[in-house]
Amino acid sequence: MMSRVEAKKPSSCESEPLTSERVRVTLSVLKGVMTSCYGPAGRLKQLHNGRGGSVRTTSQSAALLTGLPVSHPVLKILVASVQNHVSCFSDCGLFTAILCCNLVENVQRIGLPPTTVIKLNKHLLSLCTSYLTSEACGCRIPVDFSCTQILLCLVRSILTSKPACMLTRKEIDHVSTLILRVFLLTIPENAKDRIILGKSVIIPLKGQRVTDSTVLPGILIEIPEVQLMKILPIKKSDSFKVALFCASLSGDLSDTGEGTLVVSYRVSLENAVLDQLLNLGRQLVSDHVDLVMCQKVIHPSLKQFLRTHGVTAIDRVGVALMEPLSKATGTQPIGSLASISPSSYGSVKDLGTAKFGSKRFFHLIPNEATVCSLLLCSRNDTAWDELKLTSQTALHALQLTIREPCVLLGGGCTETHMAAYIRHKTRSEPESILQDSACTQTELQLISEAFCGALESVAGSLEHDGGEMLTDGTYGHFWSVQADSSSVVNWPDLLSRCGCGLHSCRGELGWSFLRSPCPPFSPVTCLPPHEAAGAANNLTLDCFTAKLSGLQVAVETANLILDLSYVIEDKN
Amino acid sequence: MVMACRVINKRRHVGLQQLSSFAETGRTFLGPVKSSKFVIDEECHESVLISSTVRLLESLDLTSAVGQLLNEAVQAQNNTYRTGTSTLLCLVGAWSSAAEECLHLGVPISLIVSVMSEGLNSCIEEIVSLQVPIQNVFDCIDNTKTFSGLETLNVSLYPFLQIPSDTGLMQKKHDLKDVASQSLVIYSLPGRPVKSPKLFGPQAKVEADKNTSQTPQTLGNSLLADTHCRRSVLTHSRHFSRADNNQRISKRDGFLEQHSAATLKTYRCNDLLELEVGLSHGDDSSMKLVDEAVQLQYQNAGVQQGGRAVPFLFDISGIFTCCLPGLPETLSCVCPGYVTVVSISRTALIEELQKQPIRVVLVEGDLTENYRHLGFNKPANIKTVSESMKVEPDSSEELWTNHVLQVLIKFNVNLVLSQGNVSECLIEKCTHSKRLVVGSVNGSVMQAFAEASGAVQVAYITQVNENCVGSGVCVTFWRSIPFDAVDGTSRMAILLKTEGMNLVTVVLTSPVTAQMQTKEDRFWACAYRLHYALKEQKVLLGGGAVEFLCLSHLQILAEQSLHKGNQDSSGWFHNTSSWLASSLALYRPTVLKCLADGWHRYLSTLLCNTASYSSEFEANTFIQHHLQNAADSGSPSSYILNEYSKRKSGIFNSGISNKLEQIPSVYDIVTPKIEAWRRALDLVLLVLQTDSEIITGLGRTQIKSQDSEGFLFL
Repeated sequence: MMSRVEAKKPSSCESEPLTSERVRVTLSVLKGVMTSCYGPAGRLKQLHNGRGGSVRTTSQSAALLTGLPVSHPVLKILVASVQNHVSCFSDCGLFTAILCCNLVENVQRIGLPPTTVIKLNKHLLSLCTSYLTSEACGCRIPVDFSCTQILLCLVRSILTSKPACMLTRKEIDHVSTLILRVFLLTIPENAKDRIILGKSVIIPLKGQRVTDSTVLPGILIEIPEVQLMKILPIKKSDSFKVALFCASLSGDLSDTGEGTLVVSYRVSLENAVLDQLLNLGRQLVSDHVDLVMCQKVIHPSLKQFLRTHGVTAIDRVGVALMEPLSKATGTQPIGSLASISPSSYGSVKDLGTAKFGSKRFFHLIPNEATVCSLLLCSRNDTAWDELKLTSQTALHALQLTIREPCVLLGGGCTETHMAAYIRHKTRSEPESILQDSACTQTELQLISEAFCGALESVAGSLEHDGGEMLTDGTYGHFWSVQADSSSVVNWPDLLSRCGCGLHSCRGELGWSFLRSPCPPFSPVTCLPPHEAAGAANNLTLDCFTAKLSGLQVAVETANLILDLSYVIEDKN
Repeated sequence: MVMACRVINKRRHVGLQQLSSFAETGRTFLGPVKSSKFVIDEECHESVLISSTVRLLESLDLTSAVGQLLNEAVQAQNNTYRTGTSTLLCLVGAWSSAAEECLHLGVPISLIVSVMSEGLNSCIEEIVSLQVPIQNVFDCIDNTKTFSGLETLNVSLYPFLQIPSDTGLMQKKHDLKDVASQSLVIYSLPGRPVKSPKLFGPQAKVEADKNTSQTPQTLGNSLLADTHCRRSVLTHSRHFSRADNNQRISKRDGFLEQHSAATLKTYRCNDLLELEVGLSHGDDSSMKLVDEAVQLQYQNAGVQQGGRAVPFLFDISGIFTCCLPGLPETLSCVCPGYVTVVSISRTALIEELQKQPIRVVLVEGDLTENYRHLGFNKPANIKTVSESMKVEPDSSEELWTNHVLQVLIKFNVNLVLSQGNVSECLIEKCTHSKRLVVGSVNGSVMQAFAEASGAVQVAYITQVNENCVGSGVCVTFWRSIPFDAVDGTSRMAILLKTEGMNLVTVVLTSPVTAQMQTKEDRFWACAYRLHYALKEQKVLLGGGAVEFLCLSHLQILAEQSLHKGNQDSSGWFHNTSSWLASSLALYRPTVLKCLADGWHRYLSTLLCNTASYSSEFEANTFIQHHLQNAADSGSPSSYILNEYSKRKSGIFNSGISNKLEQIPSVYDIVTPKIEAWRRALDLVLLVLQTDSEIITGLGRTQIKSQDSEGFLFL
């Protein structure tokens, strides 16, 4: 039989992809989507498949980028790079994407050769990084772990910046406190030389009020309706011996491989497997196991056998809980039906039941209390999905803050402050950069203007309601005012606080519009201590590590895209 | 995969417009008088009769993203509370229009979101003043005493009420007897301790017949039915009576003199029947069944606890419904135990079994040979080979059936209940052997049987041992009336019960099969209303009082913010650094007014639906009039409570009867209502803040050219 052979299509080669109109248009569309989602006043996007299926309404980069299939390779690089950042740091995904798009657009307009541009971008990036990590940085606040204020502000800022969670102020405060509590519960009490953080599990309770959310130490496993009447766990004074199975105990032949299995008429495979399961059960009973948990289903006969011998059996735990359970109980998940080695057993301190709303749960309290469960409630599916993602982001941000105990000012102030700093530095001390990169002063000015403009545009993307954006000439912070204020001379009448909330408009700070050229100034690089303490309740903050990494990823990705000269695609 | 991204135009917010148009479809479901609709499928020409928002949205084909979000919100409200969905739909429509109005007026979206949310919060705090605490409703239940002093509502109280000629708004399905029983409004004078559970029984009907002959306004018997029906509905709402208004106008001075010194009466509800009547919202037949179910549960609980002083909690999970379409409506009743239907060929078997209590085995899952428990994956590539030439006489199914029968015989089991299907072959064999097998039993019913009879549910019949078998189950006929099932086979209803079982079955019958679903939905709505009222120990004054209070409260807030200006803006916008916080005072009155419009529209829809006003204009005039009064009186909540107290103490004496006519209060439940409001506002604000739809999986050629305006491709 002849098979039809189709001629292979030749690969296509596109040169200078950034000069093509199509790429520019799609890049600007992507930038428009990202920009409109940025910040607490951001707009939401509805993601759904054209052929039906569920609707996901979101403004967060993690959900947007996974649901956004892009066609052109340039965009794919951008999206992949941002997704990589988000998978490592969870926060500042939109910031990275917007900054990268801005950089590419701004630099393209200048028309300098890519090699120069890339070198200068790298220098400017190192300038930023060294400033942000230096001692005297005007936009970095150290975190004092003995006081929860700053941490709460950080969590609150993250929660507020996701409008699709539909939270009122009281609910934001409540959830922030819970998230902080979850984080603190995962820190082990006896810290040896290495701190290994515990795990937290987020459990959904949809249809309830957000203020019903709560934190419980230990792990909650939902009991499906069917099992409600089954034996409740027996009370024991000392710890429970636990076995955790990741193999399926449902009595089916899980892996019959390919081909056909020929079986004699009198042999019943199911009975054979059931016998094996019951042998396993006998071994568990003789090893005095009190609690058996299985990721998948347990055969009803085995469950009945275990129950009659006083062993509690919980099945359908699910893959998401396996790691926290294994950590909490100290078990090694058992993957086979053969005999069990004694080292795979673990223990829990206590086992009980709990009831929340209309759901019932088994409550496992482990011996070491670094595993906890966060019961998140929300009125509808959309808000719950957003809230879960946001909570995970906030928890991750808190963990990153332990590594680097500082936070950056949010609300656009860090971006404008850095822009002012870079402008000042490249004008007043350009010698080191000019030497390293062998470019002229003019080129440096152009690139640094593009770089600073990109940063300021990111800050400006926070404004969605048509307001005007200003920056002040003293601290370099970001201020917003309502539209049509150009005729006003007396700014302090209209302005209240800067974007991060640190500075109020007392005194003349020399405001000017964001996009208008202003004389470069040296921004004040030390934080006024009394102001920091007093305004600590209401600061908008960003996670330091995530933002710094986002900055680096954005610049490096922009460099990569600007460096592209050929795109070769296989059309088959 | 090419992807399209459509931007919602700022000038017309497409999402909000879609929401308003969806909400319009369910407008006539609001309030106690609902108009049924037919939903017809054009392709297969099937139609279904619906009378509730949930069923409407289920039947519609909601492919748009906004439609799916709306469906999700309504389903969530229904699954949690089973009531309040029409409120949700109406407010979604009203607030979508309100948000669009704000957009037209140029209010920034973030401000609309903040001010509307905070406005709703403020309203929810305000309605606490209209809460009625429920205390000790079960203390006075004593069904040994008979009911005395039945007060009926005299129709002539409302001489000015005109009946609109458009009776299309009425439900025509009631027969006269039913209407007569519905027309009775039964209530209790506070202080009278006793109500008989036979409240809605035949005695009441006699009174109704007497009553009808007294009314001077009989406009003909057919319309009389309508009149009665409408009367009963209208008396449940203190707003919806024109006579109220007219009389007040004519005797205003007198009333005011009498009641100027009236202090704010704090309401309390101590009587279960008053609570039930108030919560029924005109649906007396359903509430009567709920009442019977509650009484039965109370008796069961009393018997079980043996007089210990444990407060009784109404357990809604112990109530089950059984729908029997095709039987007359008067056969609806409440029975302790579990009612189910079996084929008529089991009659002889049931007669045998009803002599003594029998033993039972409970099977979760199907009772068939090839059933495997959930999670069992049958491998597809197994081939069975027989080595010998002997042909087995019995098939595997036969073997299995015999084996099951042997197990049942061994443990002396005469009844098997299964949650899934049962093989026909097994049913036949068991019937021959005098054993009854019933399938498709609800899970919670199984649990109730397990608890009461001591049985343990098994998945396979091989698991049965002595500990799993329960005992003490009685099987009887429900009534000896066979009826025809939908597929033409004759069926019979049987009753299964055990000593100590907490299960109560409400048998719902309807002569019209299309209305069976409606009847069941209405029953559950009443049952859940009572459940939540008792659970939260409080209710709200109903009949639109709460919405009216919110409306006047918001108007007062808007007035205040106009005058107060920039002060008091703190707390209304969370992000104090943004310029929006400073311009809050400028936009707040507008947004609050638009939010209040939502309730205004709700009230006028309600008024139009209950047919007391034939046009929205009249309804709006009526509302405006009361709003003015409320604003003039200074405190809207006290104005409302005053109106209620006037009604309760029976101002409107008619010439015919010298007794003090009392109008019962209408109640509404707290949390489901508030959650419906919140869900509605959440949905509207979510759609308001959405500016683009990102559609994946479409090829470039699949988008029609006329739609491609506004599409951006990635």
